[in-house]
Amino acid sequence: MTDVSKPANAEHAQPIVRIEQVTKTFGNVYAVDDVSLNIYPGEFFSLLGSSGCGKSTLLRMLAGFETPTHGRIYLDGQDVTDLPPYERPLNIMLQSYALFPHMTVEDNIAFGLKMEKMPKAERDERVREMLALVQIEKFAKRKPHQLSGGQRQRVALARSLAKHPKILLLDEPLGALDKKLREQTQFELVNIQERLGITFIVVTHDQEEAMTMSSRIALMRDGRIEQVDAPRRLYEYPESRFAAEFIGSINLIDGHVVKQEDDQVWVQSEQIDGLLQVRHSQPLVNDMAVTVAVRPEKIQVVPALSQGSNTVQGVIKEIAYLGDVSIYHVELPSGKRVMFTQSNIQALAEQPMTWNDSVTLTWQPNACGILVK
Amino acid sequence: MSGGQMSALKLAQRLPGAAFLSNGRHWIIGLPWLWLTLFFLLPFLFVLKISLSEAVLAQPPYLPFIREIEDGAMTLVVNFGNYMLLFEDPLYRTALLNSVEIAAISTLLALIIGYPMAYAIARAPQAWRLPLLMLIILPFWTSFLIRVYAWIGILKNNGLINNTLMSLGLIDQPLEILYTPTAIYIGIIYSYLPFVILPLYATLIRLDDSLLEAAADLGCRPWKQFLTITLPLSMPGIIAAAMLVFIPVMGEFVIPDLLGGPNALMIGKLMWTEFFNNKDWPLASALAAVLLVLLIIPFVLWRHYEQRQEQQGEAR
Amino acid sequence: MTNWSLRFNILAAALTLGLSGVNAQAQETVHVYNWSDYIAPDTIANFEKASGIKVVYDVYDSNEVLEAKLLAGKSGYDLAFPTARPFIDRHIRAGLYQQLDKSQLNNYANLDKQILESLNDIDPNNAYAVPYMWGTTGIGINVKKVKEILGDEMPLDSWSLIFDPKIAQKLAGCGISLMDDATEVFAAAHAYKGEANDDYTKGGIAAATDTITAVRPYIRYFHSSQYINDLANGDVCVAHGYSGDILQARDRAMEAKNGVEVAYFAPKEGAVVWTDVMVIPADAPNPKAAHAFINYLLEPKVIAEISNTVAYANANSAATPLVDEAVRNDQGIYPPEATRANFMVLKTPSDKQARNINRAWTRIKTGQ
Repeated sequence: MTDVSKPANAEHAQPIVRIEQVTKTFGNVYAVDDVSLNIYPGEFFSLLGSSGCGKSTLLRMLAGFETPTHGRIYLDGQDVTDLPPYERPLNIMLQSYALFPHMTVEDNIAFGLKMEKMPKAERDERVREMLALVQIEKFAKRKPHQLSGGQRQRVALARSLAKHPKILLLDEPLGALDKKLREQTQFELVNIQERLGITFIVVTHDQEEAMTMSSRIALMRDGRIEQVDAPRRLYEYPESRFAAEFIGSINLIDGHVVKQEDDQVWVQSEQIDGLLQVRHSQPLVNDMAVTVAVRPEKIQVVPALSQGSNTVQGVIKEIAYLGDVSIYHVELPSGKRVMFTQSNIQALAEQPMTWNDSVTLTWQPNACGILVK
Repeated sequence: MSGGQMSALKLAQRLPGAAFLSNGRHWIIGLPWLWLTLFFLLPFLFVLKISLSEAVLAQPPYLPFIREIEDGAMTLVVNFGNYMLLFEDPLYRTALLNSVEIAAISTLLALIIGYPMAYAIARAPQAWRLPLLMLIILPFWTSFLIRVYAWIGILKNNGLINNTLMSLGLIDQPLEILYTPTAIYIGIIYSYLPFVILPLYATLIRLDDSLLEAAADLGCRPWKQFLTITLPLSMPGIIAAAMLVFIPVMGEFVIPDLLGGPNALMIGKLMWTEFFNNKDWPLASALAAVLLVLLIIPFVLWRHYEQRQEQQGEAR
Repeated sequence: MTNWSLRFNILAAALTLGLSGVNAQAQETVHVYNWSDYIAPDTIANFEKASGIKVVYDVYDSNEVLEAKLLAGKSGYDLAFPTARPFIDRHIRAGLYQQLDKSQLNNYANLDKQILESLNDIDPNNAYAVPYMWGTTGIGINVKKVKEILGDEMPLDSWSLIFDPKIAQKLAGCGISLMDDATEVFAAAHAYKGEANDDYTKGGIAAATDTITAVRPYIRYFHSSQYINDLANGDVCVAHGYSGDILQARDRAMEAKNGVEVAYFAPKEGAVVWTDVMVIPADAPNPKAAHAFINYLLEPKVIAEISNTVAYANANSAATPLVDEAVRNDQGIYPPEATRANFMVLKTPSDKQARNINRAWTRIKTGQ
């Protein structure tokens, strides 16, 4: 397996953010529990997890709003663990945007520049540049309460970018926007990040958002990092049940190892009443309990008489029409349910399959994976 | 003439009685107006009326506005002499300036002392806030007059402060505090401090912490954060607090009378003198009317300025 | 007692709010409005027992408060106790009082003829006012401290203690207080200079103003009751005040055994003598009951008991023998003939003069 602690294109780069065994406790609660992480220049790095997983606390420690209980944080090689926020060479865009309500849009953007005593002419130029970057020139003289949610988000982004930080932290940057605006803004964020060449570290609970924007994702759970990987690898090769279930939907089939040859493993499962063949290179012990994971879109419908491994039969119990695809829920004789998707290629085509149809499903050994955690 | 009829109709709808019959909601909105009319406007009109009449030793001690000359012929007599006197006699101007000075200095001092207290309470752990606020409000459970009286015992020459300092050997001669301007300021600030702390607390507690985090992140040091974020955003509380001190202190009578020396010439005391010693109700009323106008003008200007600023932002 | 403190007025006004204006009651009632601490503890109970009339008793602390209520009208009181000068003559002119029905006052003959005569100029034929108590305004002194500062040979019964700038300067650190009462202080200043005390012309006012202004820096405060406590505690050394009040301060200091020795002097240059009188407001709800109460207070035994309590001389010659010997022989309360010769009677200024005096007074106090 490749080294997932580094992105594929950064084999020799030095990390710009180095988090070393950081723990943060509030009373008895471990908000962040022994986390180590390297983030490299130019990455669009996401901290993904459900609420309370510690992702925001980790971000706040990077910003300097919280101090780690144990461990060190290095930015660009410098130990910043004990530096106050106003001395750290990074900026943050807060979830609430935290725009200064008594200042105009311009003044909000110029705030950080005034703090570093940038000469007025240069400052005005920079503010103009930022207004143009996020396309809010028209609203320069307005106060935050006179803006829409989307406009406010842009002001917040412009303000946090105004000082040209090397690293930008974003706490749920799209959380307050409605769905349509969110999708549109995702790409804009990525564009801006690529254009400016800044390292983005984003906290989000939305796996789709993380998948769309990130170069790498750290999936967090209970204060710990579950898996760090590129979105594609995280999706295709989840290392744990948790990771598999968190990203997208997946079928999980429990069983035990009966045979391993080269990179092929055979798993006997009572849930499907048969054998599963999976490509898996790590050595496993016979009789070991494992879970086979297969994504719904990797499953094919085959003629009823098909035989062999990775083949199951069942009855369609539910159909969910999502527009682009339909999701079918198939109940196996054991009672186990398996989901598969079919794209709706033809508009209003008569359903080839419908409720209570018997179907036979199959998938390739290299289209599924084995989870040991 | 349909336009005229329309406006007449609208007018009718605005009358409280009509509003009551037609729409309950208007009635609710009308209540504060009714209250203001009954307890502010009407009394003020009485004061205004008396201020325009002439003092006379009678019951009541001023001449009626409308007098009968003979056989049912009436005449309306308006006397501006009281107002003329107010502007001619430097005594009143001095008293007014003194009052403004004392009120302004007290307001400033009360804000300087009250702000950190309000800030500390707002920043205190949740469980502490209510008890701390209670401690601020607690003195209200004792009569205002008694509390001010108590200061005499504390400040006088052989009072608590002087006796303590002298027994500690820090001073040989008692400090002259009672019956000096210092005593007035102590009394005023002591009495009005809760009125500063409460509105400031209400503003500060609503202040979003993330604003300070954002400022810190943008390179703003704590002291500067206070100046650029906390202070401007607590301005509504500061203005409310300032008005709650400045306005009543302008007319303050009890504290300067009890704690202040004879030099404490304030408008409230002058009103007392005109009313009781000179039995000149009209002049006292004129003084009250002028004071009210002087207090209302800055308030109206401020409101006007606020609204205009708001509209300007909207227009752009 | 011409002017008590402004300070207590607020309290008094608050107290009386609830009581005034009450009249419809089954039992016959009389509403009495008197100075505070100006009656014996059992006088009211005894009157109620003897007459069957219920007394609603209410107090004030300054003539100004009483005057303001009477001028506003409908006070609801049946009986009040203003100071004769400079109040009742203008009140009579303003029609605030009703004439007495002397046929209902069968104890009237007990009154001191000399005092009745002294009121004749402001209340012809004593038609409206019945004298109650009288006293003087003079100087209260912390004897030990003043002697310590000025030496033993300095005379203590002189206005020079207050109005001589050289002496006042020495006493300033120890504390001098003046009454907050323009007519009293102006009369005292005139007496010190040997001028006519009733000179209310502009020139007269200016002369008195100069006398007072010269010692203004040495005056600690102007107040008409504060000095009682401060004299007793040793917080002031020389106080201009009412005889009875200063004698009260003397008694308090003795009770406290704090080593302060207070004495009262009616200054040899002249002290103001005043009389408090009983009057019935024109709109009194129950004048008959008011007459009954006045008549009761005219009984020698009753009024003697009040004098014993309040340390003021009464206006009842028949009562003098019944007054306690200690009180009767106190020269501060019943002054000797020689002192009486120098007593000053305040004349009433006109409204315009009164205003000039008050304006000058405000200037003096505030150092303008």
